[in-house]
Amino acid sequence: MSYSYGKYWHIIIRSLATYIAFFCLLFWVGFPVYYMLITSFMSAPELGAKPPNWIPKQPTIANYQEVVMGETAVRGEHRSHGEFSRMMPALLNSTIVSVLVVFLNLIIGGMAAYAFSRFDFRLARIAYLGVLMTRVLPALSLIVPLFIILRKLALINTIWALVLTYTIFILPLTIWILREYFDTLARDIEEMALIDGATRWQAFRMVVAPLAVPGLIAVGVMSFMEAWSEFFFALTLTNSLTYPPLLMSYRNLAQVNWNGLAAATTIGVIPPVTVAFVFQRYLVRGLSEGAVKG
Amino acid sequence: MATAELSKSAAQARKHWDRKWIPYVLLAPALITIFVIILSPLVTTIAYSFSNIDLIRDRTTFIGLDNYIELFSSRLFWKALEVNLKFAAIVVTVPTLIGLCFALLLVENFIGRSIGRTLLILPWALPWIVVGLLWNWLVNAQFGALNGLLYTLGLIDKYIPFMADEDLALVFTALASAWRQTSFSAILLLAALQTIPEDLYDAAKVDGAGMRARFRFITFAWLRPTLTIVLLYNVVLGFLQFDAVWIMTQGGPGDATMLISVLLYRYTFINFDLGMGAAVSNVLGLITMGVGLIFVRLIYRSQGTYA
Repeated sequence: MSYSYGKYWHIIIRSLATYIAFFCLLFWVGFPVYYMLITSFMSAPELGAKPPNWIPKQPTIANYQEVVMGETAVRGEHRSHGEFSRMMPALLNSTIVSVLVVFLNLIIGGMAAYAFSRFDFRLARIAYLGVLMTRVLPALSLIVPLFIILRKLALINTIWALVLTYTIFILPLTIWILREYFDTLARDIEEMALIDGATRWQAFRMVVAPLAVPGLIAVGVMSFMEAWSEFFFALTLTNSLTYPPLLMSYRNLAQVNWNGLAAATTIGVIPPVTVAFVFQRYLVRGLSEGAVKG
Repeated sequence: MATAELSKSAAQARKHWDRKWIPYVLLAPALITIFVIILSPLVTTIAYSFSNIDLIRDRTTFIGLDNYIELFSSRLFWKALEVNLKFAAIVVTVPTLIGLCFALLLVENFIGRSIGRTLLILPWALPWIVVGLLWNWLVNAQFGALNGLLYTLGLIDKYIPFMADEDLALVFTALASAWRQTSFSAILLLAALQTIPEDLYDAAKVDGAGMRARFRFITFAWLRPTLTIVLLYNVVLGFLQFDAVWIMTQGGPGDATMLISVLLYRYTFINFDLGMGAAVSNVLGLITMGVGLIFVRLIYRSQGTYA
C-alpha cells in the first residue's frame, strides 16, 4: 500500500519536473525568436507600447513588403530611405553562393575522401590535422594575406571570392566525415564489383555513392548552413554582397528601423531553418560525426 | 590461351596505373586549394607578425619580436585577455550545463518530446550575426523584450539600459553566444545519450544501484567522451567568437567586451597595423590551440579509461 502510494507521488513529481524543464526549454529557445517575429509584424508606433503587446494588436505585413519591394512599399516617418533595396539581391547572392559551395564541396571533398579511404593512403592524418586546424584557427587571422591573394586573382567583391573561401574552409571537415563513411561502407561489395570487371568509377557510382547518400546529405546540409551564415569574410572580401553583413549594416544605421530589420532577419533565416528542420536527422548525425572523435 | 593471359596482364597493368595516379588526381583539387587559401596565408601571417608593414610607402621591414613585445607590454592586450577569459568562462559553463539538462530532458519519454527536439535545433540553425541581433534586441534599452518582460511582471517600473553597464554588457554578449552553443552542446549530448543500451540500466537496477549511482556510473561515464568534446568546442568558441559580439557591442561600452578577436579586428582594420594584427592573431591561435590540446589530451585519457 505504502509502496504504491510512494510510487504514485514519484511519478507525479517526475512528470511535473519534466514539464517544468520542458517549459524552460521552450522559453529559452523560443522567447528571443518569438520577440523578433512579433516585432516584424508590428508597426513602429506599436513597438513603443509599454508594457509591450505580447500579441500584436494590429498585425501588419508592411515591414515585409518594405523589405521585399526595396524602398517603394511604405512611406512615412523615418522609413523608406531605400535601406532595404539591397536585401533581395543579397538573399539571391546568398542562395547562389550556398548552393555552389554545397556542390563544389561535395565534389572536391568527396574525391579526396574517397582517395584517402580506398588507396591505402598514409595521408589521412593530414585531413584530421586539417580539421583540427580549421577549427582552432581564427579565420580573422588569415584575412589580410587572403585578401591579397584574392585581389591578385581579381576576385575581390565578387561572389566567387566567397564561394572559393567557404568551400575550402569546410573541405577538411567534409573530407573527415566522408572518409569515415567510405571507410565503413561496402568495401567488400566494391571489391567484388572490381573483380567482376567494373571500373573504379562504375564501382563508385553504382555501389559506394548510393550507400554514402546519408553522409553526403549531412555534409551538404552542414556546408549550406556554414555558407549561408558566414559573416566575416563576406564583410571584408566583398561589399556586403550576402545577407549577414548586410544585416550588420542595417544595425549600424543611425536610425535603426527595428520593425523592418526584424522582417529582413526573419526572411533571411527561413532557408537555413527550413533546411535544418527538414534534414534534422542527417544534421544531427553529421554534427556528432564531425565532432572529431580523437 | 595467349590472348587470355595478355588481357590478364593488361588488367593488372591498368590496376597498377589506378593505384599510382588516381589518388593524386582525386586529391589534387582539395590539397592545392587548401594550400593556397589556408596554408599560405597562415605562413604569411606568421611572417607578418615579425614585420612592420608600412601600407602608405608599401614597405615591409623585419623587426623581429618587436610586435610581440609591444603587444605584451600594452594595457589593451591584458585587458582583452581578462575580458576574454571571463567571456570564455560563461561560454564554456552555461552551454555545457544547460545543454546537459536539455539532453537529459529530451531523452525522457513524454508528450512534446519531438517538438522539443526539433525546436532545440532552431538556435543552432541561426547565423551568429542573427543571434547577436536577437540578443541585442532582447536587451535593448527602449523596446527590449527583457525590459518588457520585467515591466509586465511588475519587477521594474523603468526600462534599464542593460548594455550601458560594463559587467552586464559582457554577461549578455556571453549569454548570446551561450544561447546558440547550448543547442549545439545539447544536440551532441542527446545523440550520445540515445546510444546508451537500456539493459545497462536494467542490470544496474537488478544489482540494486540507486538513481544517483546509475547516473554516475552509467549515464555520466557513457557521456564523458562526448562531454569532453563539447567542452572543447565551447572553449574554442569562447576564444574565437567574433560575429555575435561585434554586432552587439563592437567591443564596448569602453573596452568592456573587447575580446582578443575584437582587438585583432581593431589593429587590422581600424589602425591598419597589419604587423600587430598578425601578432595578435598568432597569440590568439596559440591560446586556442593550447587550450584545445589540453582538451584533446583529456579526450584521449578518458577514452583510455572508459573504452
